[in-house]
Amino acid sequence: MTPGILGLLLRAIVVVSGAAIATFVLLWNAPGDPAFAIAVARYNTIVPTDVLDQVRAEAGLDAGFWPAFRAWIGPLLVGDFGRSSVTGRAVWPDLVRALGYTAPLALAALMIGLSIAFPLACLAAKKPGGVLDRCAVAIASVGAAIPPYWLGLLLILLFAVQLAWVPAMGARTAAHIILPALTLGLGVAAALTRIIRSGILEARGQGFLPAFTRRGVSRRSIARDHVAPHAAIPVVTVLGLELAFLLEGLLMVEVIFGRPGLGGFLVHAIETRDFPRVQAVVLLTALIFVFVNLAIDIFCRVLDPRIGEPGA
Amino acid sequence: MRSVLALALIFILLAVLGPVLAPYDPAAINIPNRLGPPSADWLLGTDALGRDILSRLLHGARWSLGLAFLISVIGLCIGTVVGLVAAQGGKLADWSVMRTTDTFLAFPELVAAVVIAGLLGAGTGTLILALSVTGWMRYARVVRGIGLALKSRGYVVQAKLAGMSPLVIAHRHYIPAMMPSLIVVWTGMFAHTILGISALGFLGFGVQPPTAEWGTMLLDARIHIRSTPLQMIWPGLAVAISVLAINLCGDALRDSLAARNS
Repeated sequence: MTPGILGLLLRAIVVVSGAAIATFVLLWNAPGDPAFAIAVARYNTIVPTDVLDQVRAEAGLDAGFWPAFRAWIGPLLVGDFGRSSVTGRAVWPDLVRALGYTAPLALAALMIGLSIAFPLACLAAKKPGGVLDRCAVAIASVGAAIPPYWLGLLLILLFAVQLAWVPAMGARTAAHIILPALTLGLGVAAALTRIIRSGILEARGQGFLPAFTRRGVSRRSIARDHVAPHAAIPVVTVLGLELAFLLEGLLMVEVIFGRPGLGGFLVHAIETRDFPRVQAVVLLTALIFVFVNLAIDIFCRVLDPRIGEPGA
Repeated sequence: MRSVLALALIFILLAVLGPVLAPYDPAAINIPNRLGPPSADWLLGTDALGRDILSRLLHGARWSLGLAFLISVIGLCIGTVVGLVAAQGGKLADWSVMRTTDTFLAFPELVAAVVIAGLLGAGTGTLILALSVTGWMRYARVVRGIGLALKSRGYVVQAKLAGMSPLVIAHRHYIPAMMPSLIVVWTGMFAHTILGISALGFLGFGVQPPTAEWGTMLLDARIHIRSTPLQMIWPGLAVAISVLAINLCGDALRDSLAARNS
């Protein structure tokens, strides 16, 4: 059933184009006059109808669905995301600037998440059902239930308002990344702990491990050479799904902490009906998501050559 | 297990009875009493317009939990139908349905919901639409998986040979076999949807004020984080506890099903 790597690549392309086209159709069928929202965002006031018509013409909104579709998809195929309807500036450089705030936050959160989840899961898996294990699972369950935006507000309250240790809003200094990364990292840690724990337990249940012990292979070598690769496959697979959680969390956390990243970029673009910007963010998100998952699929095949073989 | 079930039941009861139990009108504005601390009269204090926070939480349960219930059931129905079509239809139906599912899955659900709800105009109707459209894929995958496994079972093949219509086969054989797994997925999605509703509410794309909903209450409370930090504790706590209770119920269900199967 599992397709080859070429098949996966083809599937990724179908999926990304599907998401992009669906967004375009949605944008064109959304209720309300987008020109009005664009004009209000551009001039900060309600404008007369002749200016509105001018805005409509500039944004290409008067052309109808198919001409607009052609005008969008043509340049896109050669990598041109177009210009913002509100500011008139090219979308791509602004998008890259926003990504420059989002990517370090995502990486920092992932690092925090992994560095909490991995030791916690290893400790928990040492003695399944023991006190440590129960505590770790309980912490993970509670962590998964806490909405990221609420956790963010609680951390702001504690560390920025009450203790005044770190700054909260904006992204002026390097220290501004601490609280949002912690907010997101704790959420990632909660989700990963359970997955890594069950991955280790499952790998440890493999029938061939006692054979190694009897042959006198050291515990360390068994853990490193035999348990770890088996545990890695489910963990890496779910890491791809966790990316969705991470991207969703980024959106919320960036809005809460007022970071000028992709989250705020998207929300502002939606509110001002800035179609080229909305489309660019949607396309970028789909691309990141699909290609990270593609990379994970390929990585899993390297770890376990049985996947993707006929009859597997 | 029992305590978790009791907690979940308490929350469901609160959602149903909330409006009866609420001591005040959740929309009654009382400016002289704004941002009041918890007291004997206002157990959890009052918000920026002097509205009773406890009453708003109790009324909000109906929106946050009730809507999540509705949306997760809609997702369940869509997903089951889609999954059955994929499993029972031919190769082409399966391929096209599963690629559509992949396309929907290729996008973080909340981001898609924000785009949909934001573009269609904020409101309860678009909230339901946005979260239903983005919340059916997991059911579809589970239903398809089990359906494909059942397809070659003797009794299903015989029912087919006996000339039973696909609808009857789905009703008699597929759906009963899928129910346990579907319920487990559903509890997960129920909890997930509670988080989604409050997230959209918090971004301003969800249930609109003055209706009390936990996410919008958090949005209101956020501005007053310095002066009355307690105000933002309650709605978040309500979301977290209800999600935790439902998730734990789901875990317990899954474990008991696994024990029964083995």
